[in-house]
Amino acid sequence: MIKRRDIRWTPFLTLFQREIQRFVKVIVQTVVTPFVSSTLYLMIFGVSLGSQIVLQDGVPYLAFLIPGLVMMGCLNNAFQNSSSSIISSKFSGDLEDLKAAPFSPSQIIWSLSLAALVRGLVVGTVTFLVGQCCYYFMYGDFMSIAAPLVLFSFLVLGGLCFANLGITVAFWARTFDQMSAVSGFILMPLIYLGGVFFSVDHLPGFWRQISLFNPLLYMINGVRFGLLGKSDVDPMTALAVSLLAFLITLGLALNSLRRGSFQRW
Amino acid sequence: MSQSNTPALSIENVVKNYGPVQALQGVSFDVKKGEVFGLLGPNGAGKTSLISIIVTLEKATHGRARVFGHDVSTHPREAKLNLGWVSQEIINSGFFDVEEILKFHAGYYGVSERADRIEYILKGLSLWEHRKKKVKQLSGGMKRRLMIAKALVHEPGLLLLDEPTAGVDVELRMKLWDFVEELKGKGLSILLTTHYLEEAERLCDRVAIIHKGQIRAIGGTRMLIEEWSRKKVTLRLTEPVQSLMHPDLVKGSGQEWVFLTAMTKTLGELLQELKLNSAHLNDVKVDEGSLEDVFMRLTQEGKA
Repeated sequence: MIKRRDIRWTPFLTLFQREIQRFVKVIVQTVVTPFVSSTLYLMIFGVSLGSQIVLQDGVPYLAFLIPGLVMMGCLNNAFQNSSSSIISSKFSGDLEDLKAAPFSPSQIIWSLSLAALVRGLVVGTVTFLVGQCCYYFMYGDFMSIAAPLVLFSFLVLGGLCFANLGITVAFWARTFDQMSAVSGFILMPLIYLGGVFFSVDHLPGFWRQISLFNPLLYMINGVRFGLLGKSDVDPMTALAVSLLAFLITLGLALNSLRRGSFQRW
Repeated sequence: MSQSNTPALSIENVVKNYGPVQALQGVSFDVKKGEVFGLLGPNGAGKTSLISIIVTLEKATHGRARVFGHDVSTHPREAKLNLGWVSQEIINSGFFDVEEILKFHAGYYGVSERADRIEYILKGLSLWEHRKKKVKQLSGGMKRRLMIAKALVHEPGLLLLDEPTAGVDVELRMKLWDFVEELKGKGLSILLTTHYLEEAERLCDRVAIIHKGQIRAIGGTRMLIEEWSRKKVTLRLTEPVQSLMHPDLVKGSGQEWVFLTAMTKTLGELLQELKLNSAHLNDVKVDEGSLEDVFMRLTQEGKA
């Protein structure tokens, strides 16, 4: 006979643990591959091309690039983790197990999103460490972190936003194509146009105004402020936009869980 | 209703529409505590739709499903805690081995330390030596047993078995039947859907026959057989007769005559109606009706 049953924390912690174990089991795909791509970005754009680029405020291009790549790695992997977990569960059928089990929607959302955030933070940290190596190689010194708490806050907010988006899209998607379309046609352009590789100050007036509607601009610049102590946008504005984006994506994820499909493909 | 009288499962006038298609048309029945209840019906009868509503994968268009008194739509968590479900299709869980899957599954239901229970179930289902294998390394029968193990790991009061022995070889099917009987002996309530009428006849206390979303008959297996099937009586007489007049006569001539009679009619009553006695008989062969006869009769359009 079962003596003790805890349906508040045990289901949540179990699903969180399962999600962590899942991405650890495929660590080549989930951490090593992003490590390789980050290294290539840093070597090609940061070290090779970056040595020929001079920014107006005297910041080396490599130092400008590192926070962008850290955030890009974090966001991409948080999105990939939650969405691929749900999609693979739709293929294998075990998503129906989650529906049949006594989870509350919040327990599912938070378990999946926090595990996705962990993967995002791991990849972000790996990217940062590779960036530090490149920076040392270029300038003989390591970068300092200007505001660690600010850096961590933006990584957490951004990671959770993208984890929630991954959950939303994966629950709504009826086919793998729909999933890929959202990732390829909406999220990737937003990330690349959010100021990972360039400063929005360098954009012509019209395009700069358009960029200001991209929430990722604020998240990426929040991380940049945390690392460098300077960014294209005011950090408080960036924090407000990031918080708002988090609340909206949380609402979307909860809604997708209630209305989306748990049934196997 | 007192707690002790609350049925393990109560289905009340459940309707399920998929667009213009009515999959369930006002289905009602109870599964009593400790009872094995069979839900029999041909493909597309609505069995899996009903199971999907009970486990909340689908919402009923109308009506209620309650598990130990908890409405699955208004109190789903309480209902699900008492529920174990074995789906018709194999679930893969590709990343994890058998033991990990069961630990996670117990955790989903709020149970964190279940090593003893997992060992008991895996041994009972002959999976103990395969506990470190991934699902894809298991045979079809083992996968099916793993699904039963998952459904039992949190000790539910009600087990839903949706065609648990579909695609399973005869030997394993027998083992699973033994295991279900063992569970029944321990007081577990079970709702079983199956195509194997032999399975229902052996395991179920009561069955409901569902066809086109409607319950056509419900009751004890013996009662249904007596009520809905006919027994075949073949009389071999000592001397040939030219004719026998009886409404149950199917065929016959000379010394051999075949009748399809109600299960409740005795041989003596039949002979009396035929104005024969035992001295006229050389031999008698009686083929009892089966659940299959009941099933065929009730699921053939226009005869129910």
